[in-house]
Amino acid sequence: MSTRSRFILATLCALVLAGIVHIVTVRAIPYFAEEDAFSLARKSESLDHPLRIHSLAVAGTPAPAQGWLPVPDPAVAVGVCAYDLDDGPMRVSARVSSLNLSIAVHGRKGAFYAVTDQAAVRGSLDLVIMTRAQLDEALASADENEVNRDVRIVAPEREGFAVVRVIAGLPSQNAMANEAVDAVSCSIDAPDEPTDANGKPDG
Amino acid sequence: MNALTRIMTGAIIARTRRAPADARLRERGARIGGVLGGILRRTSQTGFVLYALALGAALGLASADFATSGGYPVGGTTIGAWTAWAKTGAVDADPYSRAVNARRGEIPLALGEGLLLTAARDDSGRRLDASCTYSVGGAVPPARAWTLTIGGRGAVDPAAKPVREAFTSTEILREADDRFVITIGQEVQSGNWLPMPRPSGPVRLALRLYDTPVAASVGSLDRNTVPAITRLGCKR
Repeated sequence: MSTRSRFILATLCALVLAGIVHIVTVRAIPYFAEEDAFSLARKSESLDHPLRIHSLAVAGTPAPAQGWLPVPDPAVAVGVCAYDLDDGPMRVSARVSSLNLSIAVHGRKGAFYAVTDQAAVRGSLDLVIMTRAQLDEALASADENEVNRDVRIVAPEREGFAVVRVIAGLPSQNAMANEAVDAVSCSIDAPDEPTDANGKPDG
Repeated sequence: MNALTRIMTGAIIARTRRAPADARLRERGARIGGVLGGILRRTSQTGFVLYALALGAALGLASADFATSGGYPVGGTTIGAWTAWAKTGAVDADPYSRAVNARRGEIPLALGEGLLLTAARDDSGRRLDASCTYSVGGAVPPARAWTLTIGGRGAVDPAAKPVREAFTSTEILREADDRFVITIGQEVQSGNWLPMPRPSGPVRLALRLYDTPVAASVGSLDRNTVPAITRLGCKR
């Protein structure tokens, strides 16, 4: 084999290798990222209410710079609640107000469930995020005569986070939107008692 | 052997003769060529393997970085001047969108939550420029609430924050037929005026639809259902 053809062969091999490296790198980035939403949301795991990551400016007070969102919507207050289902099912409860509210549940791979306040029953929205085993347990121990208004979601992974978004249609609603995010409660349903025993949110 | 002779001759010539500048340059070129040719000819199998590995790793890493460092490279649906990003937050998002989200720390809108549309060009395909005046108006796809935001590339300077960077569907002034027009420009305008966020350079628009039924069927949107972006004029 002449030098020139060896050189061309080596270059072609390099191109194929570059393609493989490219695909592997792009797929590996979410798992090695340290500044992604999944890792940063872990900070909220010990809280019983969402960690506000984008607050709206309220007249008189400067907007606190605490978020990491690259291009946040300036009219939407955002909060995150991280969960680890090993501690028990995660209950996210929100009271409906005049502002639009939406809750999305994200795993490492992306959002697997989203609901808005239009799905609320009698003014409250109760989401329970659980594993398949925890759902089976809740179904087995459920009282047939009791009506359960929880929205039960089976999470594909053990860890994830819920995102609460509240839209302030007018700047005068900014303070209300910030409070609406804080008013949502993210609590762990005690694993030893049935999920419908503490139906009322404590937040 | 041949190359070695050439290198040596080149060196001898360069040392002994005072040649004009271009001839000296040509000699140097020949010398470098000779050295390279010599290296190429004498390179063993190992050299080629090393070369292939190094080039492959460098190209692969550089292209992966390039593809995931800016906005989403793929996965959008073009509707007129706008691009709808329906799947960037979903579990079945493409790997590039997931990588971009991870690198930027972005929490994209989920499918049932809303839909993000972006525009970097006007209806006739020209790049949105901060030195021009635009009118954005017409219809918006059905949604419970929407916001229209303007921004430039890069971080926002907190000291020079514009008086307004977004309009929501609640605060917009509408005409009698429920349509609206937003004027974007440097100079103050009557009606819905959105100031340019920067004195010059490219800008982009983001339209976020919240609680919208169209997120699940982006393909059904056409150019008449999204706001038209028209360039009114440029100063300069």
